[in-house]
Amino acid sequence: MTTTAAPKVSDNELLLEVKGLKKYYPARGGFIRRGTGTVKAVDGVDLFVRKGETLGLVGESGCGKTTAGRTIIRLLEPTAGEIRFNLAGKGWVDLAKMDRRHLQQVRPHMQIIFQDPFSSLDARMTVERIVGEPLVINHVASGQALKDRVAELLRVVGMRPEYMSRYPHAFSGGQRQRLGIARALALNPSMIICDEPVSALDVSIQAQVLSLLEDLQQKFGLTYLFVAHDLSVVEHISNRVAVMYVGRVVELAKTEELYYAPKHPYTEALMAAVPKPDPRRRDRPIKLPGEVASPLNPPSGCYFHPRCRYAKSICSVETPPLVEVSPEHYSACHFSKELTLRGVSTK
Amino acid sequence: MSDKPGPKAPEQDIVLRVNDLHTYFYTDLGISRALNGVSFDIPVGKVMGVVGESGCGKSVTALSIMRLLPKSSKIIKGDITYFRRPQHNGSAGASDQIKQKSENGQQGFWIDENAGKVQEIRLNDLDPMGPEMRHIRGAELAMIFQEPMTSLNPVYTIGDQISETIMLHQRVNKAEGLRRAIDILEKVGMSNPKLIVGNYPHQLSGGMRQRAMIAMGLSCHPAVLFADEPTTALDVTTEAQILDLMRDLQAQFGTTIVFITHNLGVVAQMCDSVSVMYLGRIIEQTSVDEIFYNPKHPYTSALLNSIPHIGSRSKERLQPIRGVVPDPYSKIVGCPFHPRCNAFMPGKCDKAMPAQTVISPGHNVRCFLYSDEVEE
Repeated sequence: MTTTAAPKVSDNELLLEVKGLKKYYPARGGFIRRGTGTVKAVDGVDLFVRKGETLGLVGESGCGKTTAGRTIIRLLEPTAGEIRFNLAGKGWVDLAKMDRRHLQQVRPHMQIIFQDPFSSLDARMTVERIVGEPLVINHVASGQALKDRVAELLRVVGMRPEYMSRYPHAFSGGQRQRLGIARALALNPSMIICDEPVSALDVSIQAQVLSLLEDLQQKFGLTYLFVAHDLSVVEHISNRVAVMYVGRVVELAKTEELYYAPKHPYTEALMAAVPKPDPRRRDRPIKLPGEVASPLNPPSGCYFHPRCRYAKSICSVETPPLVEVSPEHYSACHFSKELTLRGVSTK
Repeated sequence: MSDKPGPKAPEQDIVLRVNDLHTYFYTDLGISRALNGVSFDIPVGKVMGVVGESGCGKSVTALSIMRLLPKSSKIIKGDITYFRRPQHNGSAGASDQIKQKSENGQQGFWIDENAGKVQEIRLNDLDPMGPEMRHIRGAELAMIFQEPMTSLNPVYTIGDQISETIMLHQRVNKAEGLRRAIDILEKVGMSNPKLIVGNYPHQLSGGMRQRAMIAMGLSCHPAVLFADEPTTALDVTTEAQILDLMRDLQAQFGTTIVFITHNLGVVAQMCDSVSVMYLGRIIEQTSVDEIFYNPKHPYTSALLNSIPHIGSRSKERLQPIRGVVPDPYSKIVGCPFHPRCNAFMPGKCDKAMPAQTVISPGHNVRCFLYSDEVEE
């Protein structure tokens, strides 16, 4: 499925455009570990990100959102597809086809923040080395200039420069996530992929980190690809949201439209499932029969059809492409135009 | 006003009373004061939520009541009273067994003269590994845990693990135990329970494992079910189904549920009453409606303002709580929340611990904004 989520926006507004991105893994089983199939973790993802916006990428565990994020930044090798990135001053490049040497020149422009602040920082390195490493590798600064830049970065993320000589174990989860953010900011990137940046944090700390990310976006004109499973957090931070199901984007729209007027039945079920923090709004969830389809052996046609309450015979035969059903609203469902779906109920 | 929580309900209406519970952990780093005086009553047939951030003591509260604390910890002070109703008093068969085992003049709770009455059992006086506690645990007070993969035994089938509980507490043979296990699996919405009993935990998905855990917890129709973050490890659509299931089962069996979670959305959807915990103390306690629409403690309001509310259509900024939860080894003088509180009153909040005070019927709070009463 490579299709038509072709943006009608002019190229200059865009920062990233992903077309037909695929990431397959060989599945091995049995005593001699022979290949038994292919896990299609990311199976044809189309999306685009505008300069300065936040695109939320949501889905349940195993849907491929993290793999998609890591493949886009080329921490993983894509199996197929295009990853077009608008490099400041140099125009469009395709990250999917780049070799190591060229990638190193692009990397300063695109950084990543990881989910787990406990395993993403090297326990044997001081804060100064962790945050300063990108600057050293790219020969940006050394000596006193390096120290000054690290101190500045720590201040930017709301930490005291005196902490520079400490090790990660001395910090709480929220502070470590701030260090991860400082490291990502070191080279003044234009885009940051945020891979579940707050899901490992306590509720009161989540808000601190989300607010920091919002402030930094304003201050430095950053663009975020925000990968997360928490729909409340994603609604709060995103301008637009893409929903993934079994390796594919099934819906992509402005946050408001996606949450209140979804066009894909899976999005509708997701929205109904979120427990709302309001005892006066107790909705019954939409029953989804069965389990999430396996990316090793996905069903025919639309991957969601075995669980979909609107499914008709065509759904098990033909895979619906992601098409624009109304301006700027993309959905991969045969019946997007006919169905009237329920969004999040408002107060 | 009393410093005890809430108005004392007549004992007919409550199933468990916890009073001034202190549980400490003794570690290499020092003494960790996990619980510093927790008091609450659990009314019969209701769902009580316990909320708080990690380290606030919500899980330790449940483990203290279940007497499942690790060896490094100890209940220092306080009472846990279980009011046993006749219908929960296990099966006669199982009681006989215990009677034979501990017939050395100890006060026996199974004595027949007590039949038909509500019995008061002080759980903190029982030996955690003794026959009485083992009789109560699993049959009358049950618990389900957050991670079903680590709380199910990987080398036994689902059927073996559920029927073990049933055989132990209801003294039935293996075939009957298995039959009842299939029965309860069907009640928790497993599509093919006859097949599932022969499966090992790794063969089930996360949602199905959690259903199996709930089935195990409910298999002996307990008086109280402690659910410790039962949906935290699950995806949102699975979570919704498990919550829906628990609501249905609660309505069907009338089981009292203590729902431990950090997710305010889950609390709003599931609970009748809520206790908010901070650093080993309950700081506010009231109905679920009051917590969300009329919160009194600054920590409760701050917590509610710091989460994004889905469906509020607002893009207004979150209001984070400044600072971090202090580590439990430090001893904070005064109210434990004062270093992070927006309503902090110097000279007052950092000098003494506010008492748990009733401010309106069924609503009590621990804060000097509402009462000058100090905890002795």
